Amino acid sequence: MSLVTRREGRTKLPPEQPSIPQRRGGTGAYWMYLLPGFVLLLIVVIVPLVWNVYLTFTRWRGVRSPEFIGLENWQKILGDGDFWTSFTNSVWMIIAMVVVPTILGLIVAALLFDVVGRKFGGKVGSFLRATYYLPQILPIAVAGIVIGWIVRPGSDGALNQMLGWFGIPAYDWLGQMPSALIVLMVVMVWVQLGYPVVVFMAALQRVDPELYEAAELDGANWFQRFSAITMSIIRPEIFVVTLTCTIAALKVFGPVYIITRGGPAGSTLVPAYYAYQEFFTKRNVGYGATIATVLTIVVVIVSIIFIRVQNSLERKERAGL
Amino acid sequence: MARRIRSTTVAALAALTATGVALSGCTAGTDEGGDGQTLKLWHYEGADSAMGKAWAEAIDIFEKETGATVEFEEKSFEQIQKTASQVLDTDAAPDLMEFNKGNATAGFLASTGLIADISDAVEEYGWDDKLAPSLQTTAKYSEDGVMGGDTWFGVPNYGEFVGVYYNEDAFAEAGLQIPTTYDEFVDVLDAFVAKGVTPLAEAGAEYPLGQLWYQLALNAGDRGFVDQYQLYDGEVDWQGPEVTAATETIAEYVDKGYIASDVSSVKAEDAGVSFINGTSPIFVSGSWWFGRFVAEATGFDWTMTAFPGADLSLGSSGNLWVVPENAANKELAYEFIDITMRPEIQAIIGNNGGLPVAAEIDDITDEKSAELIETFNGVLEADGLSFYPDWPAPGFYDVLVQELQGLVTGVQDAETTNANLGEQYDEGTAEFR
Repeated sequence: MSLVTRREGRTKLPPEQPSIPQRRGGTGAYWMYLLPGFVLLLIVVIVPLVWNVYLTFTRWRGVRSPEFIGLENWQKILGDGDFWTSFTNSVWMIIAMVVVPTILGLIVAALLFDVVGRKFGGKVGSFLRATYYLPQILPIAVAGIVIGWIVRPGSDGALNQMLGWFGIPAYDWLGQMPSALIVLMVVMVWVQLGYPVVVFMAALQRVDPELYEAAELDGANWFQRFSAITMSIIRPEIFVVTLTCTIAALKVFGPVYIITRGGPAGSTLVPAYYAYQEFFTKRNVGYGATIATVLTIVVVIVSIIFIRVQNSLERKERAGL
Repeated sequence: MARRIRSTTVAALAALTATGVALSGCTAGTDEGGDGQTLKLWHYEGADSAMGKAWAEAIDIFEKETGATVEFEEKSFEQIQKTASQVLDTDAAPDLMEFNKGNATAGFLASTGLIADISDAVEEYGWDDKLAPSLQTTAKYSEDGVMGGDTWFGVPNYGEFVGVYYNEDAFAEAGLQIPTTYDEFVDVLDAFVAKGVTPLAEAGAEYPLGQLWYQLALNAGDRGFVDQYQLYDGEVDWQGPEVTAATETIAEYVDKGYIASDVSSVKAEDAGVSFINGTSPIFVSGSWWFGRFVAEATGFDWTMTAFPGADLSLGSSGNLWVVPENAANKELAYEFIDITMRPEIQAIIGNNGGLPVAAEIDDITDEKSAELIETFNGVLEADGLSFYPDWPAPGFYDVLVQELQGLVTGVQDAETTNANLGEQYDEGTAEFR
């Protein structure tokens, strides 16, 4: 009896980690291989990070020696309306770069995999997948200029011309609020969509078709199969996409710089662009470093939360809860 | 195998050492003050611009006369503006560099000791005799980097000013005269609006709107206001008559249709093009457009004057030649500057749509250019150059764009706009006062 129980346990719960052959003689020798990585980490990440944090306590114009001013920059940031506007806009960027692309990406990937792939063959599915991914590889400077032409004010803009065909008057898309932010968000959805589509389509390959067949036999419709089987199996990929896109949304800079420069009237300001302005145009390096440090802290906190939630869900899954 | 690894390592180390020695040798050579045979020169004028053509000729003359070689690196304005302060602090600094004038730019470099005091060279070569007093203001800085000081940190070769471009054909068609007073200017704007034409080419996403705003403040102010604003000679009253008149008038221009309602997202290039293609008959902007309009605005007759009825105009010397403190060949740099001040080089600037500061008027053969130079000389004679609104504080350009966008989109009123501008101005200038 006890033998049977042990066998069942082995088949239901595989080992959590692949077993690595252990060598006698300790692990001291392995550290040598990690050394180059640590040196790079030190030079590229840790030293600049520490220097950046130090600068938050200084007033510095970028040359000569920084002047130590204590917590002045940190006190200033609390009452800085532009700073809070920039972080509010980060929430909109998260909607445009994480929420919408992830949901749309799931739907598009499932449709391409399930419907298009089956009815029209894998090549059509691959072609469409590549099409959605194209904005990801297009330099944002190029895309930004083209988008600027499309939404330019007056009747010269492509969008205004098209609206004109239906008798809709020309509108200043980038010069007014909230349209400037909406245009920026639409652009970001367009740019981001391809990434989750590609990741989710790759993840869908892992799903055992027999599970779908079994569910179909049990009478499950497409949505039930999608929510119960697909979503459950590709959850790790959903976490990865959500985490990486959230970090990208918090750090977004290029599209804002190219398309709106934070305008009109600072309404599309985001933290990375605000830090850039303080660093390079106002030469308030200390204050720019403070904004950058806050951004780093937020990114780290968000990452930790994501990873913890993911680990917790995985643990529950392994435990069969 | 072990021996091979060891020998490869030794060879690699030897190569690295040799490279290191060679590199340190190069650096040492530079540190010792240069070879006196190579002038490392940076500027950001386009090859086809008036200055670009003049500098190219100056390089030829310099190489022939001195036997030295010019090592020219073409930079962009943004590149030098954003990174110069870091580069100038190193041995990679050039011997001579073009740099933007003003407190937040050349003044900043002067205050940090990154560019050299060239007062002795100015006196030795007599450049000060060739420059009108109002042009000297932007070349001389105090130890805090405020222009108009006693120490020469740069030399300008050309000037610039903001005036009004008029499409003469459009005026003739509408039965209007080119205005000579501000009231006539407003009457013309009203007349065009009545005919369904938006008269002013304008751009709220870049400098033109901020420059119009400052011109309107200058119309309501005097030299005392300019000195307060630009030279920190007293406090600027940000709710006072000059700034209030400027801000309220801009809002009024939008309300009355003198400026398009979608001005806030328009860039300078688009505004210029709307004048070139005849869409807008009036464009308030700088002399830097002049050469472009000569080449491209060929479908109609046009002219440029100083802002009607104004005693003060935006404008200054052009960008400056500055000599980095770490320059290896300062003497060569001075010789090059001297060549650029010669009449033949100045004439190239003048005949290509630029505004030379030391040209012989007889050398200006182009009629249109002569007309521009005459207008500029009129501004100089009236001591009318009043600099640019974004100069007093680092980053104030972005502040002006942002706040005026808020004004013209109706997000904020004139009083709030003035208050925001004042707050940012005071913060940006606090350490210079």
